[in-house]
Amino acid sequence: MDIQQENKIIEEVTSGEYKEGFVTDVEQEFVPKGLNEDIVRTISALKGEPEWLLEFRLDAFRKWQKMEMPSWAHLDMPPIDFQDIIYYAAPKKDSERPKEIDPKLAETFEKLGIPLHEREVLAGVVAVDAVFDSVSVKTTFRKTLAEKGIIFCSFSEAVKEHPDLVRKYLATVVPVGDNYFAALNSAVFSDGSFCYIPKGVRCPMDLSSYFRINARGTGQFERTLIVADEGSYVSYMEGCTAPMRDEQQLHAAVVEIVVEKDADVKYSTVQNWYPGDAEGKGGILNLVTKRGICKGSGSHLSWTQVETGSAITWKYPSTILKGDHSSSEFYSVAVTNNFQQADTGTKMIHLGRDTRSRIISKGISAGKSQNSYRGLVRIGPSAAGARNHSQCDSLLIGPLCGAHTFPDIRTYNPDSIVEHEATTSKISEDQLFYCNQRGIEPEDAVGLIVNGYAREVLSRLPMEFAVEAQKLLQVSLEGSVG
Amino acid sequence: MGHGRYIPSEPVFEGAVLVDRPLREVCFAGVKRRYMVTSGGDLHLTCLALPGSDALFDISVDLLDEGALARLDGLYLSLSDEDIRLRTTIHHRSGGAISRQLFKGIAGGTSKAVFDGTIIVAPDAEKTEAYQENHNLLLSEAARVETRPQLEIYADDVKCSHGATVGRLDSEAQFYMRTRGIPETEARILQMLSFLSPVLETLPEDKRSEVTSSVEASLRSI
Repeated sequence: MDIQQENKIIEEVTSGEYKEGFVTDVEQEFVPKGLNEDIVRTISALKGEPEWLLEFRLDAFRKWQKMEMPSWAHLDMPPIDFQDIIYYAAPKKDSERPKEIDPKLAETFEKLGIPLHEREVLAGVVAVDAVFDSVSVKTTFRKTLAEKGIIFCSFSEAVKEHPDLVRKYLATVVPVGDNYFAALNSAVFSDGSFCYIPKGVRCPMDLSSYFRINARGTGQFERTLIVADEGSYVSYMEGCTAPMRDEQQLHAAVVEIVVEKDADVKYSTVQNWYPGDAEGKGGILNLVTKRGICKGSGSHLSWTQVETGSAITWKYPSTILKGDHSSSEFYSVAVTNNFQQADTGTKMIHLGRDTRSRIISKGISAGKSQNSYRGLVRIGPSAAGARNHSQCDSLLIGPLCGAHTFPDIRTYNPDSIVEHEATTSKISEDQLFYCNQRGIEPEDAVGLIVNGYAREVLSRLPMEFAVEAQKLLQVSLEGSVG
Repeated sequence: MGHGRYIPSEPVFEGAVLVDRPLREVCFAGVKRRYMVTSGGDLHLTCLALPGSDALFDISVDLLDEGALARLDGLYLSLSDEDIRLRTTIHHRSGGAISRQLFKGIAGGTSKAVFDGTIIVAPDAEKTEAYQENHNLLLSEAARVETRPQLEIYADDVKCSHGATVGRLDSEAQFYMRTRGIPETEARILQMLSFLSPVLETLPEDKRSEVTSSVEASLRSI
């Protein structure tokens, strides 16, 4: 193939736009810009929160003020002016019809492929909690789920309707002062999803949260709390998108998962925040804390993530393996292109006997991006018989990107086995030639090879997500073959 | 926040050892040293930390030209209350150089062994080959092992890998030896010796038997 032809292909595909980058024109109410105790009080008042939650927020805010932004990540982070962010933005409710959803919002989610009315979708039924800027717009299938005793609603509703459950579990996995961004989230979190699966119940459908940032100049701070009681099962999915803008927007979420004895939770994320343009302008700063605890014996938590979006990703979904014989997995594909930066991985903290964990991480860097895996495996003195295996592979596409691996293994028990391996490679000329020779265009060939490389992780995703993720991988890497 | 880019540090250092031909070194106990390997240079360094004293190894190697070779091996044996720290930084500043590292250690008693190994591949250092392995055996409840093998890669046409393990003596291998009449203690010593032998074998002739018997004596004294 000659250079001209090659350039043409690259030009065609790089002009392919981020298709979720539109803005919904809807009337919104905001709190004033900036962050202080009054703002925290205002957010709490707007949401009509009980006193204990306001105290929780204020305590977090005071802790946050004393903390410093972490600097250990392998990221070139622009300074964040926390006084230049609007911490709460909500679409205005029609005062005459307060129960109805603004058709513009419904249209937005429809466009994003998130059905707000309850109907069968591709791979069966999925219940959705749709969050637009700072508020949850709608949670579907609540009644159907309630018949089984499952609580699935927005976080704000949970605070009002199930305060005991929320109080019992909130901040038990990610304490208020856990880290800088978790403290910030605890102070200003606006909405998110709450889910409780009672003893012995197998959730009949996949549950899902969809986060959408719309308003300019705002940050999104949502909080998700999932509790799986003894012997229950749930598969949870999370998706997210944002408009294309020159400015960078902050997203600092907290996800907490409590897995009781013999319960099983599967948490999947397809992260597709706006990654910024080809010059590295704009994009979402995705700085989130996700952690689960396998509290009871025999419990199981699995994380699967496909990270294609965000200008900067700082994210380490982690598991505390407290219960004996509990197990956890982390499957990740992180793709960075252009000027994107990702520092992502996991922490597996083994405390219980015979606990097992498995880490599979596939990093793909292209353009001028930097992609790092960072992970901790800690085998505590009480974790006899613990077992971990980690595999972290990096794929480099082009000479200007970087791929980095920073594992940390700490073993304090002689009766345990930990293994870590990592490799770095590029798409070889041979592989490309093989495909080209069989009539597969270079762009498609890269997509094919990357999908094959990420297969092990993609195959763990729920069916509906898997299809989307494969498409996303292709789109994210468009124009990276030179 | 920290940096997310390649930070090129000054490539010439005062006090660094220039390696422009084959160089074989064995160092005992702690040492802090920096090597610059140029084309034609072939560095082979073995770090040995034997029981009885704390040790700090801080080894930096800069590979400056195509064809530069560096090989770092290490063996550490901490059986009482030693504190062993090993830090290696291999900086591939130019393409076409090869580095290999193999570090193996056994920790018992209340000792602590920490391995920090960084490999940096500079932008444009294409055709780099960098390999690193760190394997550990833990013998007692109170012993601790931490290992942090790190890769920072800024070029795409490279072959890099690292592997790290922390484990215990393989019970199946133990069983195999026991069924063949080898007493338990002997079987344990045999397995630990064979675990360390890939490093012992790379020692120069004149040091090999001396170090091997010293290691064996230490293992027998457990």
